[in-house]
Amino acid sequence: MRPVATALLGLLVAVPVAAQSSQFGVRGLGLPLRPISVRATGLGGGFSLFDLESALNPASVGQAVFLTASFQTVQNWRRSESPAGSSSARDNRYPGVFVAAPIGGTPLSISLSASGYTDRNFVLASRDTLILRDQPVEAFDTISSQGGLSDLRVAVGWRQSRAIQWGLGLHMITGSNRIVSHRVFADSTYSGASERFTYSYLGFGVSAGVVARIGKYFTLAGMVRADDRVRVELDTAALGNAKLPLTVSGGARIQLGDRVLLAGSALYRNWSTANADLMRLGGVGSVNMTEFSAGIEYLTDPRRMSHWPLRLGVRRATLPFPLRLGDKTTETALSIGTSIRFVAERAGIDMAVQQVWRKGGVGFSERATLLTLGVSVRP
Amino acid sequence: MRRSGSIPVLLLALGVLAGCQEQLTAPAECPELCPGTSLIIRDTVLHAAPGTDSSFTGYIGANQVPALLVSDGIPALEARAFATFPRRSDSVFIGGTQTLVTLDSVAITAQLIARDTAVKQLTIFYYRIAPDLDSTVTLPALDAMMTPETLIDSLIVPDTLKNGKVLRLVLAADKLDRLVGPVADTGRFGLGLKIKAAQATGIRLGSTFSNEGGPVFIGYGRAATTDTALQKQTLTIPAEKSNYVIDVPVAGGNGRLIVGGKFGTRSILRFEIPRLLRDSASVLRATLELTPAVPVPGLPNDPASLQVRGVLVDLGAKSPALAALIASAPVKANSTDVQFIEILAIVSAWFGPGNTAPTTLLMGIAPEGGSFGRPEFISSQDPVNGPRLRITYALPSRPGHP
Repeated sequence: MRPVATALLGLLVAVPVAAQSSQFGVRGLGLPLRPISVRATGLGGGFSLFDLESALNPASVGQAVFLTASFQTVQNWRRSESPAGSSSARDNRYPGVFVAAPIGGTPLSISLSASGYTDRNFVLASRDTLILRDQPVEAFDTISSQGGLSDLRVAVGWRQSRAIQWGLGLHMITGSNRIVSHRVFADSTYSGASERFTYSYLGFGVSAGVVARIGKYFTLAGMVRADDRVRVELDTAALGNAKLPLTVSGGARIQLGDRVLLAGSALYRNWSTANADLMRLGGVGSVNMTEFSAGIEYLTDPRRMSHWPLRLGVRRATLPFPLRLGDKTTETALSIGTSIRFVAERAGIDMAVQQVWRKGGVGFSERATLLTLGVSVRP
Repeated sequence: MRRSGSIPVLLLALGVLAGCQEQLTAPAECPELCPGTSLIIRDTVLHAAPGTDSSFTGYIGANQVPALLVSDGIPALEARAFATFPRRSDSVFIGGTQTLVTLDSVAITAQLIARDTAVKQLTIFYYRIAPDLDSTVTLPALDAMMTPETLIDSLIVPDTLKNGKVLRLVLAADKLDRLVGPVADTGRFGLGLKIKAAQATGIRLGSTFSNEGGPVFIGYGRAATTDTALQKQTLTIPAEKSNYVIDVPVAGGNGRLIVGGKFGTRSILRFEIPRLLRDSASVLRATLELTPAVPVPGLPNDPASLQVRGVLVDLGAKSPALAALIASAPVKANSTDVQFIEILAIVSAWFGPGNTAPTTLLMGIAPEGGSFGRPEFISSQDPVNGPRLRITYALPSRPGHP
């Protein structure tokens, strides 16, 4: 169990710091993240309910017949347009760590994972003109947020049979937003001023799922997840609670011959349940979200599935935290990916590139390119 | 074992990510996009706590002045300077033998710290006066000693002479007898200084307590020796004491805060700042506003520096000033305008949660005891024109809410 202990220690140390920043992550709890592997990312998310290294469906943990650990990092380049202007930004995050292993002598497997739940990294710059001492003084403001919510999951998968797996996951949702607000003036006789504080969050959830193969080539999967209220603190003072949503997702996978896999899934989260709480905390509120994704994987070598396969995916989703009340925010992504395994299939890297378009309200849009790299080992 | 091409791919991927940097800043249209407002900016004027301000004098010893003031015709600032030189030797040691030196000429030098360069035809008059004067001498008494009979010589100062230069009066051999005083002086020499110019003006000279040093007596002579290389000798004698006498104006009295003067008068101000403000606000700008009670006495074109300092602890006149918390502003002579001194660093040190630093200001003039500037300001007894502290501050707004 020594490799397992090492992997678990690595998991605890490497709590992720969310992923892609976006101007659409300013509101609410931030930009929702998807707890999926690099492979599933390359497939648009369509395979995430079936994918062992994705932390969406606890039933997929049942596929773990030997110790597996993976780590991923994502580089984000984006260009945002808003009524205030346009900007280019880039950032690098580590959105996922995953470990799974069979429990010897049982049909059970266990998994620990840390993935991003929401991302709230942003720096907003604006200017204003104030009247100070009867004179107009130009002021430059920046508000920055670092952090987001992470989803720490422990899940157990049960291989009821070769065709059916069940899973149960317990989730701890925790994280913080370190806010820095800074104001400086064009008139140097005025000193700049800053305020720094931290919003911290803590909540819990539970998830359950199933993967069922019907026939030789057709597999269905589904999951449901219920998250409780997340407690919000401002520095050390309790600020309030926000109800977290119920998540329901289902998908299907079809194998076409030896080389082609097709999968698609749909996901629904009733984020509107947090609307009143978020408005009470001073936010704009939240709306329900849906996500549809599909992907196709073409195996160049059917005997070695991870040897340079071609993965293509598409995804369309709505986002739960509008910039303005009543706005509908959408996200559309195209993805491509592949992987390679080496050292006698014990280690490998996965790569995925996504092109993402986000749009919300009048004048707000964004285009992002995300390069995701993952390393997985099976010691 | 088949080698795959994956290792270079891995290295390439790591290299790509290692080269990535973070840059998140985006323009925003607030408050539409911003999650909350930025820091709240406000401005307030606080008056000095009524009846708690006052002036104290005596911070400079009477014989420790950092400059010698000499003036002519400046209202309420008439000043004369004097210096005392010890008995000079009339010989030098050459080859272990005491050898008599006969003076050919003498130079009396002084460092010009400041003058009003707009005033022309400045002339300095040098007098031989009693060498035993001290700080108790009065202006009339000193004037009485400076008569045509005791006049040594005068020096016409070039109109182009800049501050910081040396004034040098040279006396030829035929005038050396003017330096000789009565036998009772036992060889000591007292020097009195007056000035005249095309219009009322003043000068500031280096004193024995200033960095520039006080007046110096330099004698040039010949030693009675056959060695021609050693015949030319110079005797340099710095003044052992120097001081000045100024026509002390009538004290401002009630309702006025005085700073400056020969004895380094200082004023203390106290402000009461609401606790809530001290705990939560950040100071962006703090300006002390002082209204002169009378046109500021001083030497035109030689502004005094009004210095404001914070104190470590408020002990009244003996409050220890914080050397690091200091602000200054020039005070022009004859000005009646409200004086503005930016004291952000001082006031900022008063703010912060639970901060109990004394909200006290100590005001003085620099160089203390060595400047003509001696402003008098309206005190807190006048609720409108008394000292005021104008603070622009920021209050937290706690933006970034979920």
